[in-house]
Amino acid sequence: MNAVIRTENLVKRFGHVTALDHLNLEVAQGETHGFLGPNGAGKSTAIRVLLGMLRSDEGRAELFGRDPWKDAADLHRRLAYVPGDVALWPGLTGGETIDLLGRLRGGVDKRKRDALLERFDLDPRKKGRSYSKGNRQKVALVAAFAADVDLLLLDEPTSGLDPLMGAVFNECVKEAAEAGRTVLLSSHIMSEVEALCERVSIIRKGVIVETGTLAEMRHFSRSRVRATLKNPVRGLADHDGVHDLTVNGLDIECSVETAALDDVLAQLAVAGVAALTCEPPSLEEIFLRFYGDELAASGVPNGEENGS
Amino acid sequence: MTTATAALGDNLGTLAGTGKLLRFHARRTRLYLLGWFAGLVGGTWLIAAAFPNLYPTAEDRAGYALTVDTPAMRSMTGPGTYIDAYASSTGAMFAHNMLLWTGALTAVMFILLLTRLTRADEETSRLEVIRSEPVGRRADLAAALLLAAVAALVLGALIGLTVLGVDGADAEGAFLYGAAHTAIALVFAGLTAVAAQLGAYSSSANGLGFAALGASVLLAAVGNAQDNWVTWLSPIGWSQLTYVMTPEQRWWPLALGVALGLLAVWLAFTLVAHRDFGQGMMAGRAGRAEAPASLRGAGSLTFRLTRGLMWAAVITMLLLGAAYGSILGSADEMLANLSEEQRQVLNRGGSSIEENFAATIATIDALFAAIFGLLVVGRARKEETDGRGELLAAAPVTRGRWPGSYLPAALTTATAAVVVGGVSLALAGAASLDDWGSFGKLFGASVLQLPAVWVLTAFAFAAYAWLPRAGWLRWLVWLYAFVVAYYGQLLEMPGWLQGISPFDHIADYPAADVEWLPIAVLVIAAAAISALGYAGARRRDLHFS
Repeated sequence: MNAVIRTENLVKRFGHVTALDHLNLEVAQGETHGFLGPNGAGKSTAIRVLLGMLRSDEGRAELFGRDPWKDAADLHRRLAYVPGDVALWPGLTGGETIDLLGRLRGGVDKRKRDALLERFDLDPRKKGRSYSKGNRQKVALVAAFAADVDLLLLDEPTSGLDPLMGAVFNECVKEAAEAGRTVLLSSHIMSEVEALCERVSIIRKGVIVETGTLAEMRHFSRSRVRATLKNPVRGLADHDGVHDLTVNGLDIECSVETAALDDVLAQLAVAGVAALTCEPPSLEEIFLRFYGDELAASGVPNGEENGS
Repeated sequence: MTTATAALGDNLGTLAGTGKLLRFHARRTRLYLLGWFAGLVGGTWLIAAAFPNLYPTAEDRAGYALTVDTPAMRSMTGPGTYIDAYASSTGAMFAHNMLLWTGALTAVMFILLLTRLTRADEETSRLEVIRSEPVGRRADLAAALLLAAVAALVLGALIGLTVLGVDGADAEGAFLYGAAHTAIALVFAGLTAVAAQLGAYSSSANGLGFAALGASVLLAAVGNAQDNWVTWLSPIGWSQLTYVMTPEQRWWPLALGVALGLLAVWLAFTLVAHRDFGQGMMAGRAGRAEAPASLRGAGSLTFRLTRGLMWAAVITMLLLGAAYGSILGSADEMLANLSEEQRQVLNRGGSSIEENFAATIATIDALFAAIFGLLVVGRARKEETDGRGELLAAAPVTRGRWPGSYLPAALTTATAAVVVGGVSLALAGAASLDDWGSFGKLFGASVLQLPAVWVLTAFAFAAYAWLPRAGWLRWLVWLYAFVVAYYGQLLEMPGWLQGISPFDHIADYPAADVEWLPIAVLVIAAAAISALGYAGARRRDLHFS
């Protein structure tokens, strides 16, 4: 209903390349939304249209119900943005950059800023030119999380961060979500999205190919079933909902469609179960399903068969 | 295996991969090199072609020799030995007038080339990838220096071929003239290689290189003005001291340049082993943890980021104004020696030669000041291509503030440059004329150029706003204005062609009375072009890489 971000048939072309091809994206207020796609799928272009840096060629984009191109400066008061590759002014220190970005939004909460500097373990006295990639990223993250805004636009924000800092980042996003902020997290790190996001949109070649909650997505995917049986089982291979069955004596392994789980478990129970694991599909598997043809083209077997 | 060969092998190990890197460097700098070759050789060719027509007879040249033979003019050209040969050889006159300037530009080319291939690559971590390959610790420096040496030889040969046709230049003279540029190139490539080891960043390495160049030009100027030994302290002076294309022509002063170049190369190779990757010998300092109160918005950030250019403008214009101002005093001597035709060329309708000179100098000064306005506009583009502007573009900042604030910053810098240049010109001019009443006239002549400078700067901004990729456009327009101001009369360009340059519409005060209407029109034009620029800045996509 009250969508913070909404795009309708958004098209953006660069010369002959169509970066966004009728993109429909919707992020509700208070939601932490994962924006998944490989490099070049159009994630950054979509975010830059939402930021009013790029003008769309067709379709509509709305931020808080307003036009991000026309009202860019005004809308930016309510959001903070972290690009995937932060470039800093070589002569400004990290602290100066954070303060400047804070003042542009109307003021710096010094307590919050210092606490974040501590949590991200960032030295604010170094000049922009001497920060490493991860530290440049931290400067933008501290500035964004210190800001009192309604929306966080994060475009692959953790690239270059070590796992410890990745954990700090996850905490900060969770706190932002608890404070009622809307977060759009573009990423290709599945574990990050799985841990943080309620809803996910998968983008491919400028089109959203799947959007929904993780639970919904899982529902339409196959679970991985492994079992050690007491007696051999028959007929599994003939079942429509069973794929990639391997039988190794009494050990079986297969992918099962959600609708067929009932049947399969009943058949296994008949044979007698010594051990059983049933894994829901990971986000990675769901994601790879949409990119199966591209993987096949580059010689990698389809994602779902890759599960073992 | 003796220890000697082992040590040799170890030494060669630090140079492993030099050949491959050399080819790689050559490939990625080919456009840079071609551009500079074209500029230096093309400029030399143009002026070499024009010179014989400007002063066709020995009498013309002898007359000009008298006007040039003053300390002030010698400081801006070269040693007096050339002047003695003016009558007998156009080549001597050409070399005398050109060598200091094309020599200095050659130095700029090689300073930028060396930092580009060494420290700048370290900062962007491009070199890190290369170092992880089977490539020795000194290989990148060796490859950069080898490429510079090859480029220096090619440049010398091209310039030699270009001046072969100049009257008074035999083959030896022509190639000595080329070699004079090669020697300067080698010296500054070597010195910058040392600077690259010392500076904390590539910008400080560039700064050290340019400081060396500034000192060289200044020492040559001081030495030539007094025609004494001080010229021998300057690498550019050594090239001038070959007395190329005069009867006293000689090669051996160039040996000093080659020797200093080799010494610098040896020093650079010694230092490179004593510093860490990505670090200079002189460490950078820790900065502020918090922003000063003055840094509170996109506008103040722009002004802070362009502060360095502002200082460069002020210092350059102080020196330039003082240099031109000090010539004014000797204008009287010149007048006595000028032919009637020459007086005609200089005549801007003023009652005295000083006033005619002042009007010309004020325009040239203002054109130099405008360069700094254009450089500030260039910074706006750089913020975009380097991706730094992205953080601002995502903040509550209108397009009018970012990148819009680069226009006021550019206008402020250019205006300060004109005013400082005017004060400096007026002070030095009044002193050399020994007439303090002329201070107001000289200062007024400089300040009157402001509307034209504003038009040029506003155009540069509008060009950036509408056609961000066409950075050459602003320089093309500047170059056009420069050609009109310098050579417009000489080349007998039609009036409407000269009229394209905004400077053409400013009256030749103090040689002529001030005309206020064209000035008002220029101010309005500057405002209109600015508005057009802002419209462009609001309209286009911002592309950050």
